[in-house]
Amino acid sequence: MTEPLHRTPLIAAGLLLGAGLGGFVDGIVLHQILQWHNMLSNQLPPDNLVAAKVNMYWDGIFHAGVWVLTVIGLRVLWAASRRADVPWSGRTLVGSLLLGWGLFNVVEGIIDHTLLGLHHVYEYTDAKMPWDMAFLAFGVLLLLAGWGLIRAGRHDAAPRAAYAA
Amino acid sequence: MKPVVAVWLTCCLLLTGPGAQACRVCRPRVQAGIHNTEYTANLLLLLLPVVLLLLIGVGVYFASALTSRSSLPPAHD
Repeated sequence: MTEPLHRTPLIAAGLLLGAGLGGFVDGIVLHQILQWHNMLSNQLPPDNLVAAKVNMYWDGIFHAGVWVLTVIGLRVLWAASRRADVPWSGRTLVGSLLLGWGLFNVVEGIIDHTLLGLHHVYEYTDAKMPWDMAFLAFGVLLLLAGWGLIRAGRHDAAPRAAYAA
Repeated sequence: MKPVVAVWLTCCLLLTGPGAQACRVCRPRVQAGIHNTEYTANLLLLLLPVVLLLLIGVGVYFASALTSRSSLPPAHD
């Protein structure tokens, strides 16, 4: 009797890695390169050196959190790669990465931007809502793309060992 | 076990380390701005999405084990 296949370990790995890397995209692109916002920029606007450095500290804590998320994702991917019952599908992994990134945008967008108001996507405008909604919409798009790829990979059944040699 | 210890040590170092070493003039004000009465609240709120995403990921990882366990026939004594 053949062992039933389980895709969820690979999906979990991609989801955690995608969420962690999505957090890095937010931190590197929106916080540091474009400087559109910081983690607490709606509560403590970085309009002087002290406020900017306090925001920098909280950005660092956020980066540490998404770094931990990424490391755990790598560990889960390693665990999944050593299981014979986990099909090794590129479509499933890439789909899960997109799903994780989209989930990061949606969860972070709803909690930090909408519910708590810690910061908004683009602080330097009076109309912050459209930017927050665009961020959420991009997250939903990523979720849909990820879901589609995961569905496309549901027939991939070769275990990792099949790719060896 | 080793990765867990490494992550735990990193978190401890990050959370207990002094902030903003580079600015000698403003350092006391920066530290006062970070380590104030709202520190714990800020920390918990800021890490809330990360913790939620971690729980979702771990939940998906164990989903197949949990569903197969719940679908097992009840054990007879």
